[in-house]
Amino acid sequence: MTILELDSVSKTYGSQVVSKEISMRIEPGTIHGLLGPNGAGKTTLLRMMATITKPDSGHIRFLGEPLLDIHAHQMGYMPEERGLYKRMSVVDQLLFFAEIRGLSRSEAQGEIRQWMQRLQMTDWINPSSTQGAKNRVKQSKKLEELSKGMAQKLQFLCTIIHKPKLLILDEPFSGFDPVNADLIRDIILDLKNQGTAVVFSTHRMDNIESLCDDITLINQGAPLFQGKTMEVRRSQFAGHYDLAIAEDQEEPEAPQRWLQHSQLVKAFKNPEGNWVHRFQCDAEFSSQHLLKLGSEAGRIVHFAEHIPSIHDIFVQSVQSQNHA
Amino acid sequence: MHKIGIIFRREYLSRIRNKSFIVMTLIGPFLLALFYGGMIWVGTEAVNSTEDGGPKKVTITGQYPGLTSVGPSESFAFQNTSNDLESTKALLNEGSIDVILDIRDLGQGSLDSVTAYSTQSLSLRQERELRSHLELQLHRDQLQSMGLDPLALDSLRQGVELHCQTLSDTGDAQNSATTLKSGVGFVMAFLIYLFIFLYGSMVMRGALEEKTNRIVEVIISSVRPFELMMGKILGVAAVGLTQFLVWIAMGAGLITGLSRFFGPQIQQGLENTQSMQGAGSQALQTSISLWDQFHSLPFGKIIFVFVLFFLGGYLLYSSLFAAIGAAASQDTDVQSFMLPVSLPLVFGLLIAQASVIQAPHGSLATWFSYIPLTSPIVMVVRSPFDVSWLEIAGSAILLYSTFIAMVYLAAKIYRIGLLKYGKKPTWKDLYLWIRQSN
Repeated sequence: MTILELDSVSKTYGSQVVSKEISMRIEPGTIHGLLGPNGAGKTTLLRMMATITKPDSGHIRFLGEPLLDIHAHQMGYMPEERGLYKRMSVVDQLLFFAEIRGLSRSEAQGEIRQWMQRLQMTDWINPSSTQGAKNRVKQSKKLEELSKGMAQKLQFLCTIIHKPKLLILDEPFSGFDPVNADLIRDIILDLKNQGTAVVFSTHRMDNIESLCDDITLINQGAPLFQGKTMEVRRSQFAGHYDLAIAEDQEEPEAPQRWLQHSQLVKAFKNPEGNWVHRFQCDAEFSSQHLLKLGSEAGRIVHFAEHIPSIHDIFVQSVQSQNHA
Repeated sequence: MHKIGIIFRREYLSRIRNKSFIVMTLIGPFLLALFYGGMIWVGTEAVNSTEDGGPKKVTITGQYPGLTSVGPSESFAFQNTSNDLESTKALLNEGSIDVILDIRDLGQGSLDSVTAYSTQSLSLRQERELRSHLELQLHRDQLQSMGLDPLALDSLRQGVELHCQTLSDTGDAQNSATTLKSGVGFVMAFLIYLFIFLYGSMVMRGALEEKTNRIVEVIISSVRPFELMMGKILGVAAVGLTQFLVWIAMGAGLITGLSRFFGPQIQQGLENTQSMQGAGSQALQTSISLWDQFHSLPFGKIIFVFVLFFLGGYLLYSSLFAAIGAAASQDTDVQSFMLPVSLPLVFGLLIAQASVIQAPHGSLATWFSYIPLTSPIVMVVRSPFDVSWLEIAGSAILLYSTFIAMVYLAAKIYRIGLLKYGKKPTWKDLYLWIRQSN
C-alpha cells in the first residue's frame, strides 16, 4: 500500500506560490529523491508531508487515510537546520524524541541500547560510571560534550529511533564528513530494505543516482520531471553517442579529423584523460554508421550512448526554465 | 494530553536538576529577606539620618515681637545676633555659621516673612524641620501671651491606643491588623510580580532557545505547537510551585522553630506584663500584639488566593511571553514586545501601592481586582482584608477565562512564529499570524 500520496498539493505564503499542483506517490521500501534549486519549495513540501504545515489545496494521504497529526508518530523527520537540547544527555534526548513519537519508555530504552551498540556510540556513555548497564545508559554524555559529527549522528538516530514507516529527510547529508555520510547512507539503505519509505531532498547528485528509486525535480514550486530515476534519465536521451579511438589519445589538442563533422556535438577529455567525441545520431546518421566511421578511423576504445545524468538534467532544465 | 505530559516532564526535570535552580531555591528566601531587610533599613536610615557635622549653626537676624526666643532642635543650634543682615552674611560666607534666619515683622500679625540664607541648599527635611520648629516656638509664645502654660497643656494630651476589631457574621471579634495585612498583601503581590516575570521569561527564553537551536522544527513534527507551548508553560509553573513549596516548608519550619524557642518567653512576658503594668513593658506588649495579629491572619485563605492568582496570572502572562519568544528570532527582538505586555503588571503594582492599601474595598481597588491583567496583583493585596469568596471566585473565573482565550491567540502566534526566521516581526505580522489558518 502506498505510504504517502500527494494529490495536486498547493501552498501559498502571502502572494508567493511555494508549491504548485504537486502530485507524488511514495511506496514502501523505496527511496524518493526530491531535487530542486534553492527556493524551489522542497522544504515546504517536506514540511507538509511531515504534518508541520498544511496545504492550501489538494490532498495528502498516509496509508490511504487523509494525513492527520496522529500519523506523525509513524514518520521520522529531520529538517535541514538541525538542533538538539545542548544541556540534555544523549540518552535523555533519545528517550524524549522516542516518547513524543509514541514509544513507551521501556521500548525506547531497548531501541537506544541496540542502536548505540550498532553505531558504536557506547563510548559516549560516561566512562567514569562503573554501575550496571541500565544505569550507565542514564549517565551518558551531554550534547555539549559531543563533537559536531557525533551530534549529527545523534540527530539522525533521534529521527529513526521509533522505527518510522516514512522517513522524511531534508538535506540529510549536508554537514556530514564522508565517513559519517556513508554510515547514514548505509542505514538509509538498510531501512529501505526493511520496508521503510524514504523521501529526501539533496543537492548531491551522486546520492540521487545511487540511492533513489524515484525522483521528483521541482523548480519554482512546480514539478519538472517525475518518475523512476533511470526512466527520467532515459526520457532525456537526445540520441547522443560517445566515441573514443586509441589513435586520438596521443593528440594534445582535440583531433582535427572530427571537428569538421556536422554531427559532432562536442569533444572533451573524460576523467581518465581520453579524448571522447560526442555525436548526434538520428535517422540519417545512425549509431551503426558512427560505429563504422570510428572503426575506419582507428581502434575503438569507447563507444556508448550518452544518457544524461540527473545532474545534467537538473542544471539544463532549471536553467532553461529560469531563462524562459 | 499525553504529549503535553512528556513536554511537561522534560521542562520540569531539566530545570529542577539544574544546579542554579537548587542554589536559588535554597538561598532565594535569604536573598529576598535581605532585599526586604535592605529596603526597611534604607527607609529607616533615611528617616533617622542627619547631615554630617552635627547640628547646623543658625543665626537669627531681624525681629518679630511675637517670637521671644527659638530654642534648640535636633538638627539646628540657634543663636541671636544684634548685627544686621549684611554683616551676618559675611560670617556665612566665611563658613563660621551655616544658616541665617532673617525674621521680619511686616505688621500683618503673623510670622509671614522668614528668609533662610545658606551657602548650600537645605534639604527638604531640614526645610520642613525648620518651619515646624518655628511654628512650635511661635505657638508656645502665643499660649504664654494668653497666660497659658504650654507645658501644662502638653501634659493634658493623652495618647490613645486604638484596637481595631472586625466582627464576623457569627459575631466573633477579630483583630483588624490593618498594617500587618497591608504588609503581607503587598509582599505577596510583589512576589507575584517578581515571579510572573521570572517564570514568564523562563518560558519565553525556552521558546526562543528552542527556536534558535532549530530543535523546534523536529519537535513540532511530532507535537502540536499548542501542546509544546502548554507543556512548557505547565512545566515551568510546576518548577515555580516546587520552589514555593520548598520555601513554604522552610518558612513553616522557621516559624515552628521560632514558636518553640520564643513561645514560652512570650507567654512568660505576657504574664509579667499583666503583673507589672510598668515602664519598659510597652515594647514587649507591641511584640505580643504583633504576634497575636500575625496569628489572627486568615492564612488558609491568603495562601489559597495567592496560589490561585499566582497560577492564573502566571498562565495568562506566560502564554503571552511564550508567543513573544516564538515570534522573536533573537534576544533583541523581544524588547519591543515586552514593554506593552508587562505594563499592566507594573500598573497593577502601582494600584496596589496607591489604592488598595489606602482603601482595600474602594471602587478603584475593587475594579482592578476584577480586571484579569491586574487582578493577580490587586486581588492578592486585597485578600487579607476580608474579601468575600464570591468576589474571589468571580475574579478568578474572569482571570482563567481570559487565560484560555489568550492561549488560543498565543498558540496561533506560536505556531507560525516558530518557523519564521530572520526578519524581526512587527505587531502587524503578529496580527496576520493570528488570522492565518495554517
